[in-house]
Amino acid sequence: MSLRRVSILFAFSTFALFAVLVLSLFYFYRGGLFMETLLAERTLFSIRLSVFSATVAALLATALAVPSAYALSRCDFPGKDAIDTILELPLIVSPAALGAMLLIFFSNPLGNWIQTRGMQFVFDSNGIILAQFVTTLGVATRLTKAAMDEIPRRYEDVARTLGASPAAAFFNITLPLCRRGLIAAFILSWAKAMGEFGATITLAGTMAMKTETLPVAIFMKLSTADIDGTVVLILIMTAIGVGTLYAVRLIGQKGMHA
Amino acid sequence: MRYGLVLLTALFLSALPGFCANAHAGEDLLVFAGAASQPPTEEAAAAFEKKTGLGVDLIFGGSGFVLSQMMLAQRGDIYFPGSSDFMEIARKKGAIVAETEQKVAYLVQAINVQKGNPKGIHNLRDLTKPGIRVAIANPEGVCVGLYAVETIEKEFSPAEKAAFKKNLVNYTESCEKTATAISLKAVDAVLGWSVFQHWDPARIETIPLKKSEILRIGYIPVALASYSKNQARARQFIAFLLSEEGKAIYRKYHYFMSPEEASAWIGAKKPVGGEYALPAEWRPK
Repeated sequence: MSLRRVSILFAFSTFALFAVLVLSLFYFYRGGLFMETLLAERTLFSIRLSVFSATVAALLATALAVPSAYALSRCDFPGKDAIDTILELPLIVSPAALGAMLLIFFSNPLGNWIQTRGMQFVFDSNGIILAQFVTTLGVATRLTKAAMDEIPRRYEDVARTLGASPAAAFFNITLPLCRRGLIAAFILSWAKAMGEFGATITLAGTMAMKTETLPVAIFMKLSTADIDGTVVLILIMTAIGVGTLYAVRLIGQKGMHA
Repeated sequence: MRYGLVLLTALFLSALPGFCANAHAGEDLLVFAGAASQPPTEEAAAAFEKKTGLGVDLIFGGSGFVLSQMMLAQRGDIYFPGSSDFMEIARKKGAIVAETEQKVAYLVQAINVQKGNPKGIHNLRDLTKPGIRVAIANPEGVCVGLYAVETIEKEFSPAEKAAFKKNLVNYTESCEKTATAISLKAVDAVLGWSVFQHWDPARIETIPLKKSEILRIGYIPVALASYSKNQARARQFIAFLLSEEGKAIYRKYHYFMSPEEASAWIGAKKPVGGEYALPAEWRPK
């Protein structure tokens, strides 16, 4: 078999693995229950909350990722390696542990001060955004840096020789050139935030109509030994996530050909 | 390089017996347990292992969550939820052998606050004072939350209930997380079990409810799972939990071992267990 065929076979195997997992959900599928659960006020609230908080968290993460990725990509400074390494922290520490770290932080005097005089995070919808932001920031920075690394530094140098300030060179040359990478970083951060569960549940809790994101709602269904209901919510979550990512991909391709 | 390879091979080989031991673990008893009994149950399982040489694997979580896991896996020898409510669900779903159900320990509802009681919470109505942060366990999936809602519904006037709900900042997802919410000072008070204090004596203090405010005594039941292929051994473990030796372990953590003990602590006789249907306002659709 040629290399091409083998590689395509592997790609299809990956697809089949996930397809089987999704299809196996239908073993517990009950048609009537699907529409009932989908249109329930509580499900719609979970969907809105998930989409809103994931979008805010991903926007914040990408906004912060741009300047730090620029520093990591273009500058040499003490502590750079340490910063680069710590970006992976959310991958190494489990999400539940990350949520516990946040919870522990807010039980300390400083965290307590922030909560009493600033903003409430523990068991609050702000906590969802914070948990998702913390888990996605590293990924957003890493992807943005990769996009900036692709752009030769020489372009900026040329702009500088033509009289552009460093900021002007960044905004007129580097940023537009890595636009696609930035969009990819945002979308992946959004997807990761949408599916975030461990840190969210630990910091923000499970209150219906308040802090119940879709992944938390799935956990709650399972917690009441309602397997049929769990299946419906997983299907809804999969449809929203995969549907959005696929739509973005289609729009991206159109944009490229335009 | 070659040394590296040798080292890797040695590491790999040394790990093999570990894997073999795991493969052997199929022989161990598999217990799906609610987190309400976690500290003493872990100790009891260790004592049982030591005494009989039979291994016990414990899976803890919210009572409903571990029930889902057990039903989906179609495995497990014993179901050990935190309260009678989930045993009832397990019975209806055919996940347990109904006639094997036994009561292991009894629990009494109480208010739990941070050590030293910094917010000066002395009774149920103090939980309605402005500025107090309260949590209860999620009443849809955790027994202690269901008991809390029952008390709130019975004891509070509509105005008090509204004030309480304003203070209610979270539902925790298991018994154990309800206690942790106090340990981590995430809230000022929870409506939990009196035993929480003994799970973390350095950080948690129990404020007893008035006799009249306690409606039911909770109990921790145990039963043989329908999926068990190790019935004789599973029965042996259940018998151990109910033996004097097993009871002593639960007593050490201040669980009540009879309804009389629980009633003596409350100061009045109360009904044991029973079902409570969660009102619709606590279960949004």
